[in-house]
Amino acid sequence: MGVEEIENLIARCATGDRAAFRGLYSATSAKLFGVLLRVLDERAEAEDALQDVYVKIWHNAGRYRANGLSPMTWLITIARNHGIDRLRRRREAQPGLDQAEAMSDPAPGPETRLIAASEQTRLVGCFGELERDRAEAVRRAYLQGETYAELAARFDVPLNTMRTWLRRSLLKLRECLSR
Amino acid sequence: MSVEDQPERDKDIVLAGEYTLGLLSADAAAAFEARLVHEPQLRVLYAAWSEDLAGMTDGIAPVAPPAHLAARIEARLDGAAPRRRVGLGWLLGGLAAASVALLLALNAGLFDPGLRLPADPALVAQIAAEDGSLRVAAAYDGDSGALYLDRQAGVAAPGRALELWLIAGDAAPVSLGVLPEAGRAALAVPEELRAGLEGGVLAISDEPPGGSPTGAPTGAVLAVGPITAS
Repeated sequence: MGVEEIENLIARCATGDRAAFRGLYSATSAKLFGVLLRVLDERAEAEDALQDVYVKIWHNAGRYRANGLSPMTWLITIARNHGIDRLRRRREAQPGLDQAEAMSDPAPGPETRLIAASEQTRLVGCFGELERDRAEAVRRAYLQGETYAELAARFDVPLNTMRTWLRRSLLKLRECLSR
Repeated sequence: MSVEDQPERDKDIVLAGEYTLGLLSADAAAAFEARLVHEPQLRVLYAAWSEDLAGMTDGIAPVAPPAHLAARIEARLDGAAPRRRVGLGWLLGGLAAASVALLLALNAGLFDPGLRLPADPALVAQIAAEDGSLRVAAAYDGDSGALYLDRQAGVAAPGRALELWLIAGDAAPVSLGVLPEAGRAALAVPEELRAGLEGGVLAISDEPPGGSPTGAPTGAVLAVGPITAS
């Protein structure tokens, strides 16, 4: 389904068009469910989160235009942010799990190998220009909602060093993405 | 761009990136959101980061959700009161406010969960149910315009949301937004509402997911608290 069709469905959702909502769900829920599974890594929670996400989409469809995001990015952002919010609450409630995670190898997971060279997005290309652990820190912030404190602990660097890593990485990424 | 502008521009590039990633403290996130209302260039930066960082999801394979979820979602939508149609005037006149409101919805709770209520707030409130089943401590930072919330007891009912309202003097309740699921949250109080905080009342009502569709409370008022100087 093309960009314009998805935008059209979102616009119709804003007018209370339930058939458009079903069409939007049908076209996009598998992608958003995949994102939530990746973020939450727990099926039952991802299923709960998916419901919350589509209810949010329904109630905020009227505000889509005001944001300046492309339709899939808007949808994915709602899903990712909701997933991260739940993930952080889970981590707050069960701090022991965090310890086990901290011990694990911070090397990039299999998903970074999924994208074939010919399909590389600009972001993947620009990530390639960052040092490996800096790129990993940005990924963990985005996909796992890790905080500065958690990232500093994971990479065993002082907090201010991690802030500097992130800040420099963001500037490098922005420069690369603007080329 | 002049040499003098670049460091400021770089600061904003970093800030917008950190905000999108969810790395800012509640303080800084609220201040950033307040700036977004007035600074179109910052909104452009935020949109660019959202687009580009979402590229990290390109490699995530779609997974068909279980078939029964669609009906559950529809049932939740059916539970909501009929939605007000979004008129063009609202979109045009309230453009900046609308985008900030969505940002709050998108990013609600998405700051460092280690946040604490400010040590020396200008104003405070204890928003509490009579039976103590819901209790939210609120503290307002006059410098940043950020209202910090700490939900100490109680949660939204299943399939419902908690919405926060400001009642200033005799005015009708004005929504400050839906409380995120995170226990601690901060939101930017719109400038035009700040004068109404002191001596006002904060209230929390039970609403459909996403908040009241009408702009006024539709569900039961669960908790109230007068705002006082701390």
